Amino acid sequence: MDRRATLAALFGAKRSRANTTVQPRTTALTPSLGLTSGLEPYAGPWGYEEAAHLLRRSMFGPSRSQIEQAVSQGLYPTLALLFTDTPPPAPPVNPSNTTDPNVPIGETWIDAPYSTEVNLTPYRAQSLRAWTMELLRTEGVSLREKLTLFWHNHFGVNTIQDPKFLYRHSILMRSFAWGNFRELIKQVTIDPAMLRFLNGNQNTATAPNENYARELLELFTIGKGPLAGPGDYTNYTEQDVVQMARVLTGWRDRGFNTTNPDQDVTSVFLAGQHDNGVKQLSARFNNVQISNLGNQEYAQLIDIIFQQDEVARFISRKLYRWFVYYIIDDNAEANVIQPMAQLLIENDYEIKPVLEALLGSAHFYDILNVGPMIKNPIDFSISALKQLAVAFPTTLAQRYTLHFRIFQAIIPMEMEYYNPPSVAGWKAYYQEPQYYRTWINATTLQARMGYTNLLSGDGVGQGQLRAKVDPLTAISLLPDPYEPNAVIEGFAQLLFPQPITDSQKTALKEVLLPGLPDYVWTAEYAAYEANPDDPTYADAVEVKIRSLLQVMLSMPEFYLS
Amino acid sequence: MKRRQFIKAAGTAVSVPLLLNGMRVSAMPRSFLSRIVNPESDRVLVLIQLNGGNDGLNMVVPLDQYDNLANVRGNIILPQNSILSVEDTVGLHPVMTGVRALYDEGKMGIVQSVGYPNQNRSHFRSTDIWTSGSPAEEVWTTGWLGRYFETLHPSYPDNYPNGDYPDPFAITMGSIVSETCQGTASNFSLTLNDPFSLAPLTEGSPSDLPDTPYGEELAFLRLSISQANQYGDVITDAAQNGSNLAAYPADNRLAQQLKNVALLISGGLQTKVYVVSLGGFDTHANQVQQGDVTLGDHAELLQQLSNAVAAFQSDLQMLGLDQRVVCMTFSEFGRRIRSNDSFGTDHGTAAPLLLFGSCVNPSILGDTPEISADVSIDEGVPMQHDFRDVYGSLLMDWFEVGEDDVRSLLYNDFQYLPLLLNCTATSTRPEPKEEAVVMNAYPNPCSNWTTISFTAADEWAKLSLFDSIGNELRVVTNQRLSAGEHKIQVDMHGLPPGTYFFRLQLQGRQKTKRVVKN
Repeated sequence: MDRRATLAALFGAKRSRANTTVQPRTTALTPSLGLTSGLEPYAGPWGYEEAAHLLRRSMFGPSRSQIEQAVSQGLYPTLALLFTDTPPPAPPVNPSNTTDPNVPIGETWIDAPYSTEVNLTPYRAQSLRAWTMELLRTEGVSLREKLTLFWHNHFGVNTIQDPKFLYRHSILMRSFAWGNFRELIKQVTIDPAMLRFLNGNQNTATAPNENYARELLELFTIGKGPLAGPGDYTNYTEQDVVQMARVLTGWRDRGFNTTNPDQDVTSVFLAGQHDNGVKQLSARFNNVQISNLGNQEYAQLIDIIFQQDEVARFISRKLYRWFVYYIIDDNAEANVIQPMAQLLIENDYEIKPVLEALLGSAHFYDILNVGPMIKNPIDFSISALKQLAVAFPTTLAQRYTLHFRIFQAIIPMEMEYYNPPSVAGWKAYYQEPQYYRTWINATTLQARMGYTNLLSGDGVGQGQLRAKVDPLTAISLLPDPYEPNAVIEGFAQLLFPQPITDSQKTALKEVLLPGLPDYVWTAEYAAYEANPDDPTYADAVEVKIRSLLQVMLSMPEFYLS
Repeated sequence: MKRRQFIKAAGTAVSVPLLLNGMRVSAMPRSFLSRIVNPESDRVLVLIQLNGGNDGLNMVVPLDQYDNLANVRGNIILPQNSILSVEDTVGLHPVMTGVRALYDEGKMGIVQSVGYPNQNRSHFRSTDIWTSGSPAEEVWTTGWLGRYFETLHPSYPDNYPNGDYPDPFAITMGSIVSETCQGTASNFSLTLNDPFSLAPLTEGSPSDLPDTPYGEELAFLRLSISQANQYGDVITDAAQNGSNLAAYPADNRLAQQLKNVALLISGGLQTKVYVVSLGGFDTHANQVQQGDVTLGDHAELLQQLSNAVAAFQSDLQMLGLDQRVVCMTFSEFGRRIRSNDSFGTDHGTAAPLLLFGSCVNPSILGDTPEISADVSIDEGVPMQHDFRDVYGSLLMDWFEVGEDDVRSLLYNDFQYLPLLLNCTATSTRPEPKEEAVVMNAYPNPCSNWTTISFTAADEWAKLSLFDSIGNELRVVTNQRLSAGEHKIQVDMHGLPPGTYFFRLQLQGRQKTKRVVKN
C-alpha cells in the first residue's frame, strides 16, 4: 500500500448527510440528542474509557499512568483527587533578564516596580506566559488549571499591558477555581485588571461609563434573556445597566506600570468620584434601591443580582458547555441544567458541589457525551505534550524559553492565553450554531497539523531548544510495546476518545510495519531492548514509531475529547 | 442524525410584518427561492467589518449640526476647520483624505444612519443581527449571504468543491469564518491568512461513522480537512497567477487583507464574497487623544480604513478590475451622541455606512442626523435606513437577485435603495423618486399630542414611533396615501417625558424626525 492510499484508509472524507434541505430559519429550535440521563450519580461500569473521559475533560491531556490510577481508585476517589486543594503555584520569575534593576535572575517580579531606564514589560510578559504554559503542562490530577481557563474565558480580560495586573487577575481566578461564584464576581468587579479592561476606572458620578455594568449582567452573571419590551431583556433592562454603572462609580486601579517601589497593584475607592444618589433598579430586580453604602455598594449590588435564580442557570449552562457539550437539548436543560442550578442555590453558589455532581453524573458518562468535544487549541497542544511525555529542559532560562515557544506556537490556532478575542471569551463557547467548530477552518487546520508534525518531527521551538516527541520514551510507557497491534491499540486508547475501526488499525499498521508480518516488529523491538545503546537498533524502531505518531496526531480523532 | 439548530428563537414582542403593498403576512415563506438570475456573474462583494461599534459621528460629521454636537461632545469633537467637507452639510474625519478623494472621483457613497428597529446594544447580539440579517427580536442562525448562497447551492458542503464550482464561494481574510456566510449546514466562507503558505493537510477516504455527536463532529473535521486541501490548491494557483500593481501601506492590517483580495481576484479566483475586518472600534475610552482630538484610537482606525481602501481601489483600477468589485463597511452599532468623561463614547444606535467602488452611487443617501442641544445621556443616532434595505439592494443590483427573493432572504418590508449606479447593466430598478421628503412635527416639544405632516405622492407610507435608544414603540400608520400633504395626529399619552423619533418610510425614501415630550 503506498503512503497516500494508506492515509486514505485512515481518514474518512465522505459521509452521507440525511438532511440537506434548507431549514426554516426562524423557528424555535429544540434539537434532541436522544438522551434521557440527567444529573443522577453514574452507576455504570468504571473502566479505562470512563476514567480517561473524566480526566480528558478535567485536565489537559492525562497520561496513561494517571488514567490507570483513576481506573484502580474508582470514580469518587478520583473526583476527590481532582478537587484536592493544592498550594498555589510559585510565582513566575525572572528567568534570564540581566537588565532588571529590581529583580535578580531566579526571583519573582510580581511585586517589583518597573524601571524608568529600561522597558521591563516584554520579558515579564513572556515570563508570565511561559509560567502559565508550564503550569498546564506539569499539573497533576487536578481541575484547577482547566477551571482557571474556564474563568479566563468567562471574564475575557485582554489587552492589559502590565503583566503584574494579569498575574494578579490570574491568581484570583485560580484561587477561586471551584470556589464561591458570588464571591469571585465581587472580587473581579474591583480587580485592578478588570477595572482597566472594562473602563471601570473611568466610571465617575458625572459621566458614568457603563461598559462593566453591561457585561456584568450580560456575560458574567445573569445573561441576556429574550427581548420582552423596549430596553427590557427579560433578566434585566437598559435602566439596570445605567443604574448599576452608577453603583460602580468611584473605583480606581493603582500601580499600573508603576516605577514607584511603594506602590502596590491594588484598587482604591474614591468617595468623591462615587455617585451618592439613589440608584433605582427595575422590576426585574424587584425595584430595589441602592444608596448610601459607599464602597460597599458594589457588594450589595452583586448580592442583589445573585438573588435571581437565573444566575444559577446561566453559569450552569456555561459549565456544561465547557465540560460536556455545546448542545443543550430539552433533556439536558430539564435534567442537568435545572438540577445543577438548584444545587448551586442550595450550596450558596459554591462551584465545587455542582461540578462534582456533573462530573459524577450518569449524563456525563453517557456514551453520546464521550468524544464529541473539539479540543480547544490549548488543550490540543498541551495534551500532545503530556500524553507523549515530551521532555523539557531543566535549566531555568531554557525552561522559560521553550514554554514560551509553545505559547507562541498555539497562537496561530486562534487561541492565545491572556488574549481572548473579546470580553465574551472565545467564540467556541458561545457562537451559534458552530460553537466548538469555530476552532476548525482552513487556516487553523494548517496551524494544528503544522504543530503536531513538528512535535513528532524536528520539534517545536528554535535552534537546539525544541519540544520533540521521543518515540522510544513514548512507546516505553505502553503496556505491551512488543506486539504491533497492542502498540497501535495503546496509542489509540491514549490519544483518541473512542475506539477506531479495524480498517483504521490495519492502515496504521501499514505505517508502522509496511507490508511486513507482525513478528518482525517484535523481533526489532526486542533487539533494541537488548542493545539499547546501539543506534542501529534504536533508529530502526524510532523512525517507525515517529511515523506512526505523526499520522495518529494528525487524525481528526485526536482533535476530539 | 438530523442537522441541529440550537437556540430557541427569542422574542415575545414580535410585531407582525407588514408588506408595504398592504398585504399582511403572518410568516415568511420558507420554500426554496424561486429563481436567482445570473449566478455566474463575475461580480465581487467585499465586506469591511469594523468591529466594536463605529462612532459614525466622528467619521461622517454632520456639519449643519456642528454647534449642538460641540455642545454635547465637547471633549472629543473635531475642530470645525479640521473637518474635510464633502458636501455643505457633511464632512469627513481629517485623516480620511483617501476616502474624500474617492468621493470626489465619484467612487464612494455614504448611506446615513443605518440601523434596525429595536436596537440591541450588546456587541454580540447586535453583531449577530447584522451578520444574520434577522430582526432584532428573532435569533436566526444563518447569515444573510449564507442564505443567498444556499439558494444556489442547497446541498453545500456535500460534494463541493467540484468541477463546476472549484473555487470557494466566499473567503474570510483571517482565521475565523464570517457569520455573514453561515449556511444551515456549513459556512460558505473559507478562512485565509496567507495565500502563499498553504501546505497540504493529511487526509484520506471514507470510513463509517457512528450516528452520534462524536460521529457528527468527526465527519465535520474530515470534511473540513478535505475542503481545505481542495480549495487550498485553487487559492495557491490564483495567488501565483495574480498580481498587485499598487503600493499598499505597510503596518496596516486592513490594507494587507485587501491586498490579498486584489491578488486573488486578479489571479482569476471566482470567489464572490470576501470579508475583511478591522477591530478596535469599541472606543469607550481614549477615542480621541487628550490635547489633540484629531488624534487618538479612532483617528488611527479611520486612517487605516481610508488608506487601505484608497490603495485597494487604485490597485483594482490599474488591474482593470474596478468595475467588478464593490466594497461596503458595516459595524454592529454607532455610538452615543454624548461623549463620556473618558474621552470616549458608549454603545449607541445607527451609524453611516460607506460604499466604495467604480460602480457605486457617488452620493450621500439620507439626511444628516438631527442633533439637539439637550440630547439625553442614552441617546444614539436614530435610524433612517434599515440595514436590510442596504443588503437587499446590493443583492438586487450586484448579484441580480429578484426583489421577491430579497424579501424572502431578508424581510418583507424591504425597500430598495439606489446604492449602485455607474456601471452599465446593474440597476434593475427604475430611478427612485428624487424629491426630498419634508416632514414636520408640531407642536415640538409636545405634551400629549403632536401632529406629523409630510407630503406624499400616490404611494404607501409607514410612520413609526421610536424611543431614544432605538426601540420601535408603535407603528402609527401603514397605508396607501393619496398624493398631497398629509397630517397625522399622534397620541403621546402614556409615554414618559423624553426624546422620541418618528421614522417615515415612503416608496424608496426614508426620513426621521426628533420630537421631545415634556
